[in-house]
Amino acid sequence: MDDYVVSVLSNIGMISFLALSAYLLLLTGEISFGQQAFFAIGAYLSAIATAMWGWPLWSALLLAAAAAAAAATVIGILTLRLRGLYFSIATLAFAEMVRLLFVIFHYQVVIDGEPVGPDGAEGFRDIRWVFENNVSAAEYMVIIYVVLFIVVALFFRLERSRLGSIFRMLGEDTLLAEMQGLNVIRFKVLASGIAGFIAGIGGAFYAHFTTYLEPQIFNVMLGVHGLLYGLIGGLGTALGPLIGVGLDIGFLEAIRAIQGYRMIVFGGLVAVLLIFMPRGILDEERVHWIRMTWRRWRNAAR
Amino acid sequence: MIDFIQNCIDGVMIGSGYALLAIGFTIVFGVLRRLNLAYGPSIMLGAFVGTLLYVQFQAQILTVAIATVIGAVVVGMYVERLCFWAIRRGAAIASMVSSFAIWMQLEEVAAIILPERTYPFPALTEMAPLEIGPFFLRSEPLVMFVVAVALMAVVHTVLYRTRFGLAVRAVSENPSAARFMGIHIDAVMFWAFALVSAIGGVAGFLILATDQQVTPYFGLWVTFKGLIAMMLGGMGSLPGAILGGLVLGVVETQSLWYLGADYRDLSAYFLLFLILIVRPGGIMGQALPERERAADRRV
Amino acid sequence: MLTIDNVVTSYGMIKALKGVSLTAASGKVTCLLGPNGAGKTTLMFTIAGILKTQTGTITLDDTDLTRYSPVKIVEHGISLVPENRLVFPMMTVRENLETGAYLRVGKDRKAIADDLERMFARFPRLGERSDQPAGTLSGGEQQMLAIGRALMARPRILLMDEPSLGLAPLIVEEIFRIVEELNQAGVTIFLVEQNARMALRVADHFYLLEQGRVTFSGSPGALEEEEVIQRAYLGTRRE
Repeated sequence: MDDYVVSVLSNIGMISFLALSAYLLLLTGEISFGQQAFFAIGAYLSAIATAMWGWPLWSALLLAAAAAAAAATVIGILTLRLRGLYFSIATLAFAEMVRLLFVIFHYQVVIDGEPVGPDGAEGFRDIRWVFENNVSAAEYMVIIYVVLFIVVALFFRLERSRLGSIFRMLGEDTLLAEMQGLNVIRFKVLASGIAGFIAGIGGAFYAHFTTYLEPQIFNVMLGVHGLLYGLIGGLGTALGPLIGVGLDIGFLEAIRAIQGYRMIVFGGLVAVLLIFMPRGILDEERVHWIRMTWRRWRNAAR
Repeated sequence: MIDFIQNCIDGVMIGSGYALLAIGFTIVFGVLRRLNLAYGPSIMLGAFVGTLLYVQFQAQILTVAIATVIGAVVVGMYVERLCFWAIRRGAAIASMVSSFAIWMQLEEVAAIILPERTYPFPALTEMAPLEIGPFFLRSEPLVMFVVAVALMAVVHTVLYRTRFGLAVRAVSENPSAARFMGIHIDAVMFWAFALVSAIGGVAGFLILATDQQVTPYFGLWVTFKGLIAMMLGGMGSLPGAILGGLVLGVVETQSLWYLGADYRDLSAYFLLFLILIVRPGGIMGQALPERERAADRRV
Repeated sequence: MLTIDNVVTSYGMIKALKGVSLTAASGKVTCLLGPNGAGKTTLMFTIAGILKTQTGTITLDDTDLTRYSPVKIVEHGISLVPENRLVFPMMTVRENLETGAYLRVGKDRKAIADDLERMFARFPRLGERSDQPAGTLSGGEQQMLAIGRALMARPRILLMDEPSLGLAPLIVEEIFRIVEELNQAGVTIFLVEQNARMALRVADHFYLLEQGRVTFSGSPGALEEEEVIQRAYLGTRRE
């Protein structure tokens, strides 16, 4: 498999974490413009752990994701009591604050005579755990997808579970959920924490893939992309956001002819798609239909 | 103390530009109940038309201004038809998502048309700064302030003294009732959007002519400033938009002076975050029940 | 004047109106009574052009209005006082009235100004509050405002959707007195109501709408008032 394909697939994998993070919040009916902040926290913290403290990737990843989850929980507590649009803008403000904080964040240690660490706007280079441990690009890609697979499988589990139904109910009808005695905010905060964790994992993978971080990467555009993937892929299933990512990074990337115009095409495609499928490709109705059809087909085959 | 007041003066002047942007967001939100996230990029594309004329044809400043406004309006029309009119019946979220998508599209168009990092923009004026006692009034921001205030007066007149303005307010307050009066909702929304795009074009022009340059980040920047100013003042309120813009300008200028460039934008976002957590209704306070309902949306 | 013939209106797959026919004669007060969910507001919206009928026609004198947009319906002289008033809460009383004359603005400024004065004369309470935001008015005052607003369009026929809704009994009496006065002054009125007792007092002719169909047509007195009231609130009991 040639390097370019591996690179593209790895990208799809990593960004999928971001998309799933936004997706989880969307299920509960909240639009977050700020998941890129947790992606960033995951990236920076895991990189600091491996490049500066000498930790192995696995523990760095867990630490980073946990930190992202903690941050997401705190922010969730502060903001989730705001109604829809206000919440969304609060997440936007928060994410930009995080990005700007990384711009003024300087922390370096000297390793082998060279300063290593985040240096504000100058960035954070030499995140070389992958190379120092002889993990090939293809192996790294597999690692990403294995973890992604686990996360998606957990999402599928979630769909069937009580918690999953609660999350969806929050998204459908908050009033109904409240009347059932559910503490709406507590569940949304839980969702926010989990979403932060997922974004953190993605960020950690990202840091070690690109080996170089700078605050500019984690801008609003990144977050908006994450949101968009779920919204066009459809919110009926965790595969929806993945389809969105695949559509943008995979499909459109593959069309060499539109290399420089990818956003124009993608943007236009999304806008047109939304006219006909305002709830995305794999929205709840369609997924339900697919499940019913599958079940009928299986029963008929017996 | 002198510095503080000087910063306030500077802040108010630059805040007048932000206020215009916030007014744009507020009117669209009032009439269409949705946020137009492609506002910034459409203004930027207008500005790019302006800078093109300036660089290629040495156009005069007035021509550049008109070109910017026309460009912003034309792109605004594109956005309105595709993201708002076409998805009229759908959920509010679909329009917002669509405007994200078009935002991305427009950013790329901008990057393609003008690939350099920055382009020159004609200066608003060549006058020397005014001195009033110990205070300086730089001429470009001053001119911007004067024009912005004039434009606000024009907007106020349009909204409160014309038939069109009556229709816009009616649709903002109660679209169903407005329909029963024989008001053509789609037409009102379209023209309100056109008005807002023109305001944005002027605002963008004023701001860029003060900085004398335009960069590809301008679109995003405009969106942020407009949104922050609107939320600071209180979403959905026109006086709030103006107040929010001025406050934002002052806060920025003060933090630039006392904390340095790195903290300027950080303070703005921090202030926004704080206001949202503590007093989401903004400085002007509680939004009307109608508006609160508009702030809710289901995914 | 207004003839509705076999109107069928649906919400998705649900037929709200299953073939409604009625006439509102010129110069008279015609009432449509019926319980909640019978389709009264649906009918009003269909006449106003917001909803479209699948079959059937709506005719005003000799003009077929069936396919017309809401704007054209108002242009042709049908003005609606909506259910729940729907005044513009932040506009002043005066501005609310001006929106009623929206389609006339620019054409006869003098006439509009005269009409405004006339409204204030007819509804003195509105005159007192002419510069207050409409949202600060009481329910009864808002109803008067909504009626005045609809009249500013100088309609040929005034539609009223449940004018008594949410108002105290004393206020309801006042509103219906206004309806009577308007009719005596020559305004043709077509009103839908759940409050049959009040409506029958002002009606020249009335219809009963139950589950999307007209089940009775006649003048007040043709049916026992008690029966009418019962059917208007509860519908006919299924035997």
